[in-house]
Amino acid sequence: MLLVEDNDELAETILDRLRSEGHSVDREANGDEANDLLRFSSFDIVLLDINLPGRSGYDVLRSMRSRGDATPVIVLTARSEIDDRVVGLDAGADDYMVKPFDFRELSARCRVLARRRAGSSSNVFSAGSFRFDRAAKQAHVDGHQLELRAREVQLLEIMLDNLERMLTKEEVADKLYTFEETPSLNAVEQLVTRLRRKLEGTPLVIKTARGLGYMAYVSDDD
Amino acid sequence: MSATTTEDRHSHSLKRRLLASMAAAFVLLLLLISVLLWNYSRAAANRTYDLLLAGAALSVLERVSYNSAGPTVDLPQSAMDILALAADDRVAYRVFSPNYGELTGTPDLPVPESLQPSIDPVFYDAKLDEGFRFVYQGRQITSSRGREWVFVQIGQTLNARKAQRDTLFLYGMIGLGAVSLIGLGFVWLAIRTSLAPLRAIADTLMARTSRDLSPIEGDPPLEISDLFRAINSFIAQLVRSRNLTESFIADVAHQTRTSLSALQGQLSLAADANEFDRMRDRLGKAEKQAERTVHLTNQLLANAMVIHRSEDAQLEPMDLRMLVRDTLAELLRERRLRQVSISFDDSGLPEGKAPIRGDAISIREALRNLIDNAVRHGGQENTILIEIDADAQVVRLTVSDAGPGIARADLVRATERFTSINSKTAGSGLGLAIVRSVAEGHGARLQLGSSVLGGLRATIVFPRLLVVALACLLLTMQANAVSARELVIHAATDPGAMRPLVDAFEAQSPGWTITYREYQTVDLYREVRDADPETRADVIISSAMDLQVELVNRGLARTLRLPNAILPPDWARWRSQLFGFTWEPAAIIYDKREFDEEDLPTSHRDLASFIRENESKLRGEVGGYDLRRSGIGYLFATQDTIQSVQAQRLTEVLARANAQSFCCTSEMLDAVAAGKLSMALNVIGSYAMKRDPAPGQENIGVHFLDDYNLVMSRTAWVPKTAPEPEMAERFVAFLLSAEGQSIINLKTPLIPLLLSREQPLGLEDVRPAGNASFLPIRLGPGLLTFLDRIKRDEFLRSWVSSMGGQDYGP
Repeated sequence: MLLVEDNDELAETILDRLRSEGHSVDREANGDEANDLLRFSSFDIVLLDINLPGRSGYDVLRSMRSRGDATPVIVLTARSEIDDRVVGLDAGADDYMVKPFDFRELSARCRVLARRRAGSSSNVFSAGSFRFDRAAKQAHVDGHQLELRAREVQLLEIMLDNLERMLTKEEVADKLYTFEETPSLNAVEQLVTRLRRKLEGTPLVIKTARGLGYMAYVSDDD
Repeated sequence: MSATTTEDRHSHSLKRRLLASMAAAFVLLLLLISVLLWNYSRAAANRTYDLLLAGAALSVLERVSYNSAGPTVDLPQSAMDILALAADDRVAYRVFSPNYGELTGTPDLPVPESLQPSIDPVFYDAKLDEGFRFVYQGRQITSSRGREWVFVQIGQTLNARKAQRDTLFLYGMIGLGAVSLIGLGFVWLAIRTSLAPLRAIADTLMARTSRDLSPIEGDPPLEISDLFRAINSFIAQLVRSRNLTESFIADVAHQTRTSLSALQGQLSLAADANEFDRMRDRLGKAEKQAERTVHLTNQLLANAMVIHRSEDAQLEPMDLRMLVRDTLAELLRERRLRQVSISFDDSGLPEGKAPIRGDAISIREALRNLIDNAVRHGGQENTILIEIDADAQVVRLTVSDAGPGIARADLVRATERFTSINSKTAGSGLGLAIVRSVAEGHGARLQLGSSVLGGLRATIVFPRLLVVALACLLLTMQANAVSARELVIHAATDPGAMRPLVDAFEAQSPGWTITYREYQTVDLYREVRDADPETRADVIISSAMDLQVELVNRGLARTLRLPNAILPPDWARWRSQLFGFTWEPAAIIYDKREFDEEDLPTSHRDLASFIRENESKLRGEVGGYDLRRSGIGYLFATQDTIQSVQAQRLTEVLARANAQSFCCTSEMLDAVAAGKLSMALNVIGSYAMKRDPAPGQENIGVHFLDDYNLVMSRTAWVPKTAPEPEMAERFVAFLLSAEGQSIINLKTPLIPLLLSREQPLGLEDVRPAGNASFLPIRLGPGLLTFLDRIKRDEFLRSWVSSMGGQDYGP
């Protein structure tokens, strides 16, 4: 991981926290230097402050994305006004955190990003007792295979790709069904209910917010 | 913001209001006086111009006589000349006798039924095609059958009267207006003086420093003592508000410091702790305290931001539903919301849209705070319901929770700063205060109540943004190109003379064709008079000035608004309807082989003598117009009888010399050229003067007299019935423009008016040597005299009998 943060005290606490969790973390205090470093080295996750000496965090992020560097980035900012966040996300950030933030929250967000990345790049997603093999399209809880229908596997994949992202019912239906099939929102509801029941007892939770949609998260990350 | 307020106040100033009401009173007074003044002006104008009518009637009655056939009248030129003093008015007259019927003039002019035969003039108004004022006067003449009544009735349109009336009225009103303004000036001074105490208060307040909030002192006049008290009570309110602000700052300082002290205390206790467990316990508490401090600081900053934005931010049209959805999707990621059941209901939205004017950042902050409250106070097993619904006027955003809610008695207190109703679940005490600020910044209301879920129900009621659907009106352009349009000119004038003008005008009017139709003057007159609907012309041009005046006097012409710069001189225009555009003197042409210039006579008196002396030489070789056939000839001849007592003698002399009569100038020119005539009188001189002598016409000389030479002008007017009146007006304007006049000068045998206007009688190139003086024939009612039926018959009969020709029959 790479932390780009100019405040030494804050950087020290973040570094201690992340290292104590077993991550290996590098730190840069200057936007230009961070940019140079990112040019030649690759990281799993970048924590990027916005107010930096040298070039700003946005510029660093923009040049990363324009190079085609898809490394997950969490933006750290002291400005609470949402406009900045939107700009940050538009610039290609995967997540943001407003200072002062809870360190547990920061670790959790890092884990989510790592999971999303792992889920799409490698073939195995695991959380606690739950394990999902994308290639085999099989899910296991404590080593026992879950009986999943094709549609349920599809839904599971969609939810894992969008871990901790709210998906509306319509979005789920669009991803689930092809153009020819008429997606029925009712069918989506039933499908989610079935999958949720099968996932009971695993740390993977699919939360429903009525009127809004669905979000999957891993519950024992806290 | 303050600038506009000041301006608004200015526009509603007391001074202005007082002044305005005084001005209104003055205006009312002026209106009353103006009615009186109007009646007076009208009566005065009528008196003045009734004198003209009476004078004209008298002069006509004087010329009524009795002959074998009954009463008759010889219409005097003076009558028309008197009427022409009202220069722009049309004239109608009639002479009749009860026993002999209509004698002359326009038959059946309106007469009031109650009218008794009287030798005193009676005046009355009557409506023909426009308003006329008539005089009606009778005279008894002695006939073989006893005494006969003969009545004359003369009417005039009201232009001069109206002008006179308007002038009188205007001057009166200007005077009154000036007096009123001076009066208002005094009123203004009085207002200023009486408002001085207000100014004093203003000065006192202006001079103050912002810290000085003591009540103003003084002894105000009775009328403003209320204001005085109100200002003082407002100052007292300001003092309270400032105290409140100061206490808020003190509160903030207190809250922050307390929070930080607690944190510091826990940390130092932790640092001093001997046992690991105690230290850990202290640190846990310190962490909780730090969390609270962070929350408090965030809320304070959010509060400040929301207040700042509500003063500053521009509200933009937006869809509240989308904003709420996005914000909820964001919020749901927070871990503390995982155990909470959240639902969103927008089914109450018509068409799924909630348009409002809003500031997204502030509304997001308010929604966060409402949900934060709901989570904080909702207890275990919480359910939060977010609803949006709307009707025609408002959009409602409601957040309900399943917590214990707020007791009715505490609802008012709930939105105050640093007030937490429940100390166990207390937050910063700022949440609802922030929501309220956001609502106020949007012109919305915050309503608190009990939810169906059992807890608090907080609703923000936004005014709905009315989307005005603008109907797009597509202008259907007329796709087809302008088809060729036609301007029809009916003219009694030499086509060779008009052709260059018509061609030039056609050339500069793309899309127009000009149809030019030629007439004899009398035929043209009859056609227009009888208004044949088949032959509608746009422009009527004729050299017969009297006939043109007669037609315009009938009210057939359209008023043209020509630019002042091209208007012809006074004598060559009438009523802004009839316009002369050439300058054509009557001349004597002679055969140079017969006479020398020096031998020719120099005045009309000498002319008669000259012809008489050369009677033998000139016998059969003098030419003149046939007055029966030529309108121009008749015009010149009748004008001559007005100008010169020699006219009758000249006619007799010509008759003795066996003068020949011709229809037109060109025939006379040809006859002189051919040696058939030695001399011709009253020929239109411009032809002879201007045209390069045609082969065989080098012998023609042009001669002017010293006493006077009549000048006529070809005239043009536009009928009211013209199909293309605008183009017609442009054509008339073109005739009078510098360009048109220059074409007349260079390309036609006519002489333009412009030359004579810009260089008075500037005919250096065409004007003969000697002291010729030119007398233009004036357009106006004066030309109507010799169009009178009796007068005309009498004149022509006398001419025919003098010439010894055939009997003249009308």
